[in-house]
Amino acid sequence: MSGESKKAPYRVPIGPNHPALKEPVMFTFELEGEVVRDVDFAPGQAHRGIEWMGMRRNPVQIVHLTDRICGICGVVHSLSFSLAVEQIAGIEVPERADYIRTIVHEFERIQSHLLWAGVAAHELGFDSLLHLTWRVREEAMDVIENLTGNRVNYGIVQVGGVRRDIVPEQHAIIEKCLATYEGLLDTLLSFFLDDRTIRMRCRDVGVLSRKDALELCTVGPTARASGVNVDLRQDYPYAAYGDLDVKAVLPDRYLGETHGDVYDRIVVRLLEVGQSCQIIRQCLSEMPAGPITAEEKLVKLLATCKKATGEGIGRVEAPRGECLHYVRMEGKDSPASWKVKASSYSNLMSWIPMLRGSQIADIPIIVASIDPCLSCTDRVAIVRDSRRSILSKDDLHRLSVEKTRRLQG
Amino acid sequence: MTPAEIALLAAWCAALSLFALAGGLLLSGIDRKLAAHMQARIGPPIRQPFIDTVKLLQKDTVVPANAIPWLFNAAPVVALVSSVLVLFYIPVGSTMPVLGAYGDLVLVMYLLTVPALALVAGGFASGSPYATVGAQREMVTMIAYEFPLAIVVIGVAWRLGAAGISHPFALQSIAANPVWSVTGPLGLAGVFILLVVLAAITPAELSRIPFDTQEAETELAGGLLVEYSGRNLAMFSLAQAAKTLVLAAIIVAVFFPWTLSSFLAMPPVVALAADLLFFLLKAVLVLFFAVTLVRVAMARFRINELVSFYWVYLSVIGLAGLLLLMADVIAGPLAGVGI
Amino acid sequence: MRALPLVPELVRQLFRRPATNRFPAKYLPPSIRAFLRDVQAGRAAVNPPVPTPPRFRGKIAYDRDSCIGCTLCVKVCPAHAIEFIPDIKKIRVWVDQCIFCSQCTSICPKSCLSMTDAFLLAGEDRYAEDLIVE
Repeated sequence: MSGESKKAPYRVPIGPNHPALKEPVMFTFELEGEVVRDVDFAPGQAHRGIEWMGMRRNPVQIVHLTDRICGICGVVHSLSFSLAVEQIAGIEVPERADYIRTIVHEFERIQSHLLWAGVAAHELGFDSLLHLTWRVREEAMDVIENLTGNRVNYGIVQVGGVRRDIVPEQHAIIEKCLATYEGLLDTLLSFFLDDRTIRMRCRDVGVLSRKDALELCTVGPTARASGVNVDLRQDYPYAAYGDLDVKAVLPDRYLGETHGDVYDRIVVRLLEVGQSCQIIRQCLSEMPAGPITAEEKLVKLLATCKKATGEGIGRVEAPRGECLHYVRMEGKDSPASWKVKASSYSNLMSWIPMLRGSQIADIPIIVASIDPCLSCTDRVAIVRDSRRSILSKDDLHRLSVEKTRRLQG
Repeated sequence: MTPAEIALLAAWCAALSLFALAGGLLLSGIDRKLAAHMQARIGPPIRQPFIDTVKLLQKDTVVPANAIPWLFNAAPVVALVSSVLVLFYIPVGSTMPVLGAYGDLVLVMYLLTVPALALVAGGFASGSPYATVGAQREMVTMIAYEFPLAIVVIGVAWRLGAAGISHPFALQSIAANPVWSVTGPLGLAGVFILLVVLAAITPAELSRIPFDTQEAETELAGGLLVEYSGRNLAMFSLAQAAKTLVLAAIIVAVFFPWTLSSFLAMPPVVALAADLLFFLLKAVLVLFFAVTLVRVAMARFRINELVSFYWVYLSVIGLAGLLLLMADVIAGPLAGVGI
Repeated sequence: MRALPLVPELVRQLFRRPATNRFPAKYLPPSIRAFLRDVQAGRAAVNPPVPTPPRFRGKIAYDRDSCIGCTLCVKVCPAHAIEFIPDIKKIRVWVDQCIFCSQCTSICPKSCLSMTDAFLLAGEDRYAEDLIVE
């Protein structure tokens, strides 16, 4: 090795498949020694054409398709899609259904955050903590399984309500699980936050300033860890959240200061597990009696959806941040347009300021720290003559304008 | 040497090589099993490293297009041979080192760097950016832990020399005179500190978490070894296994050299077997505290954190141990007068 | 242990029974096929999997006789797993395509479709006999 080749930045590709990445995305790093000088990334490696499939199916079918957009968020997408369709068709969801949706939604947050915490530990090379968090996560999975019939792809939400009621016998099961988590939370917080090696690897690593977080429109725990007070459950309540007292979890309320680093993101997510337990408990005690769906007869529901015209937007605070579904119905079986914006879509760009100037060793944990879900995010993959082409901002703007014109007819 | 002696020596070396490989794989299996249980998993069966090695030996060996083939293929051989070779200079159980007459602890220290250097050469020869980063990290790691390692070796040998033992660097004399037996209370503390320092170097020598930056699965996807496959990878993993045994053997020889046969009278054949089993037991215990417990309880260090850990913290601790040993030598005669 | 709070838990865990469910056997058998053959011949035993929850959605069951051929199930199946056979006015379910949403069982006016507890459905042939329900 000559002296000059040591100095010159060299390129290291990471991805689309790499142990640091749990889902496919292509990074190109420019490194100087161990330090990241610049970084670029290309998503679009896992485009599955879900929206295309949806536009050839009726809303009752699409709800189950939305379950499968994400492998972890089994309720977020179906809830958000249902909210949009209910808005268009003017369906009034019964109150009890709203509470059941909220309970399952919060259980999903618990399991998703614990899953993330385990992955984060694994990225740091701390596999014992991965095994421990995933073991305690099973409690939430068992309850979800009991409530919905499945561990993932719950299939509990349907346009107009939910498909399964929570019976009194299940209250005890839920209560037991909540008690376990409330007892465990302090231990978990201590395992993650008091550990010297974790603090050493996460404190002031991958810092996202409040300004950057706002400018890049980050959402969810990524934004909250940088001190941005956003949470759809508090800002634009949906389902039963209007009746509940939900306040966004910010790191300075626990630690007294906000760094906007990976450590703060761990704090926010672990505290949200505790918050979810409180929300579920409140839902259980305040859950009103009544029907669980606006329209029990699916045939009638199909007919209502078919008649509906107009457009609707469903917004839901997913474990990773805001998830948005846009649906446009034009009096046909299937929607005329369906657009999914997963939460990671808003968070991906925050990688660039976080990764610049960091070390190679920090890449996995920084990439994981926003809890990226790329299969949910990938909405487009442009392949011409079997070659990928890159669209500039202007190209994208032109295409968007064209599409809007087309939708306006 | 007569031809018969040479033949005997060769036979011993062959037997010892086999023991190094088999024992090393066994120790890795036990390490994996214990780690799994600490993580509430069942883990693979203890024989799993043997299964893996056999499987790897059957697989194709791929040489990447950018690699320098001769260096790429030579590195695993050098690593394996040098790892096994170290064991010829270290006492195992009640058998004295086979080549003990030709080398001492300083040579062992030098030999231990050879597998690491082979890894570095293989990494650079791979022609992959991951392997290159891994090779750079391996070099830095090696430089980082050499100084505390030297402190331990010199500390122990110097104390033995000060106690009037001839050839203090020779492993026979170190094993025959446990360093604990020649020191006073201050020295005991010093020796204990040196033991802790040596134990803290072991994970880095074996590239285990928290000091496995050169392989770092989630960062470099295996780093140095990323391009290796088939027989070459099998040789590296055998070298790793042999090195596991060697490091355990060094710690045992320097700090826990006692044998069963020196306490209980037994026929020579039984004594050999009993001492060997006792040695393996000591090795398992040493590795549990030095490697297994450490690697499940910590996150991986960054390379700069690793360097400051070894150069600053561990060196200072090691020097403190050395000072205690010196104080012990000065205080020793006085204490003797006092009694 | 303040700096490494996990260590006491790890040491405790060393002496406890692992949490892993030993399904189908404690260690991976050298050959799964040989293992399954042994199980069928009664030479080996399978550790049971975790029991399914109440109202689990497993492999679909079809009561052919009460089916009236209304095709509502075909209409709501998100995966196009249900095929209508016009000649006999009955359906055929391709289990390899089924996503176990149970929407067809909810809509069926004669309740002739139901979900069973069977979930060990992995196979190499998508058109295997036990993966077609008719």
